[in-house]
Amino acid sequence: MEGEADRSDASADASALRKKHLAMLERLSNRHQSSSRPDKPGSSPPPAAASFESTSSFLSLFGESKRSIESRLGQCRLADPSLLKLQFDEISTSIADLEKLVAESSYYLPSYEVRSSLKAVSDLRQALDNLSSELIPKKKFSFKNKPARKEPTAPQPKGAEAENRDSRPAAKAGSLAVAVPDSPGFRNRANEVLAKDVRGLEIGEFTLSDLESCEVRLIGCARALFVHRLRNCRVYAGPVTGSVLIEEAENCVFLLASHQIRIHNAKASDFYLRVRSRPIVEDCSGVRFAPYRLHYRGIERDLEDARLGEETGNWSKVDDFKWLRAAQSPNWSVLPENERIETVDISNLSA
Amino acid sequence: MGLLSIIRKIKRKEKEMRILMVGLDNSGKTTIVLKINGEDTSVISPTLGFNIKTITYQKYTLNIWDVGGQKTIRSYWRNYFEQTDGLIWVVDSSDLRRLDDCKMELDNLLKEERLSGASLLIFANKQDIKGALTPAEIAKVLNLEAMDKTRHWKIVGCSAYTGEGLLEGFDWLVQDIASRIYMLE
Ligand SMILES: Nc1nc2c(ncn2[C@@H]2O[C@H](COP(=O)(O)OP(=O)(O)OP(=O)(O)O)[C@@H](O)[C@H]2O)c(=O)[nH]1
Ligand SMILES: [Mg+2]
Repeated sequence: MEGEADRSDASADASALRKKHLAMLERLSNRHQSSSRPDKPGSSPPPAAASFESTSSFLSLFGESKRSIESRLGQCRLADPSLLKLQFDEISTSIADLEKLVAESSYYLPSYEVRSSLKAVSDLRQALDNLSSELIPKKKFSFKNKPARKEPTAPQPKGAEAENRDSRPAAKAGSLAVAVPDSPGFRNRANEVLAKDVRGLEIGEFTLSDLESCEVRLIGCARALFVHRLRNCRVYAGPVTGSVLIEEAENCVFLLASHQIRIHNAKASDFYLRVRSRPIVEDCSGVRFAPYRLHYRGIERDLEDARLGEETGNWSKVDDFKWLRAAQSPNWSVLPENERIETVDISNLSA
Repeated sequence: MGLLSIIRKIKRKEKEMRILMVGLDNSGKTTIVLKINGEDTSVISPTLGFNIKTITYQKYTLNIWDVGGQKTIRSYWRNYFEQTDGLIWVVDSSDLRRLDDCKMELDNLLKEERLSGASLLIFANKQDIKGALTPAEIAKVLNLEAMDKTRHWKIVGCSAYTGEGLLEGFDWLVQDIASRIYMLE
């Protein structure tokens, strides 16, 4: 088949490829026809005032089309059966248009609007599916694009796959088909102070996993930080130029600066953050947020270098993927000022 | 290809391709799309719903659907399967711990009848990170060799940071789709 693992190609002809690459990027950005955004192509999001306007105009437009689709769905029951197929097709097109509207607006809409509109679209489509299987008897023949292969197994019922997702056995780290050298990090430790200065090491990714009652001090920049299964720990870390991914933390305190921060399955933990984009939580409870409070000699330069020199205010703009509504999520809160810790100084790494 | 589907493809808007981009959260999908489109990639939040980008690539118009990969919203992926010409699966090559998850989600996706005709490009992203697995290693972990023989696929190492590998991947995908869909010209 056409599949091949082809890193060698890339490196063999790296310079030619790079030239081609640059030319292409240039061409792409020159044309800049790009983007399905409703305003000027390629422009940055409108200022806050404008985005408020667009949000309300989006909502009224969205509401209008949604109601119209719903009423057309209702009318299908009374329709001439020979015209049903046509009507369903039209409604289906309208739903697709509505979805497109959401997509086009999603960069300026508040997150809960995006999520709830998305859900509404999905519900409409479901309603359409239900109605059409109820009103149009299954055909014996169909000209649908036949798949080239047949799965021997019975097809999964709709939705089953998504629901089963969480019941699968936990993935085993040991089942990788390739031997991987342990990457930099601290693993399987308890009751220790774990300190590392990574300046000058050109570190890529750094991992903290299975730590219990430890204090972690990390000086310098990493590109990515993975955190997995920490209990009763304190993590003081210098800037991360890519993203931080945290899964399973309980009773912990984190001081982190990064471009992106994703927090999954955390309980009763405090996060002191500086972050360029909106931090997100998923399956969390009792997590609280405050601004970054770390110091070591030279941290200002490291922060500058990581383009995290300035406070962004994003530490409090948390998106909860498990919370669809406009009201504040019950899963996270802003840490009251009088409960915040003082600036932590880790200049003296091992002290 | 059935007669009707051929007609449908011919009637389709000039040279349009629909590309679905999925993968675990944090793998770099949004960064890749913005990079290939020459946009600023310095502030990107995790994707709450999805983004659509329409870009002109060579003589084709690509409609790229970049769908969020957070667990909560993976169940929405199925809403975007219809009419997909090209599937891009993005892997964070430095996230060793979640490679099993990654494999399982990809396997699920490939069982989808509605995606069975789509060309599959796998981006082994974040190659700039020290300690990242190579595309060959990723291919092994994901057991790509065992893929259905009728599937057109390719794995390409890339970095959305440097841009390395992105064009190589897109070039292949677009050519592969074009040779299937527009072969009648
Ligand atoms: N070092 C490095 N970091 C990358 C690369 N690509 C993406 N990143 C970082 O990885 C993080 C995740 O990138 P996104 O583009 O938001 O990932 P996504 O796949 O769209 O995530 P979801 O929207 O949640 O599905 C960001 O902090 C990026 O800066 C890469 O090639 N190299
Ligand atoms: Mg994204």
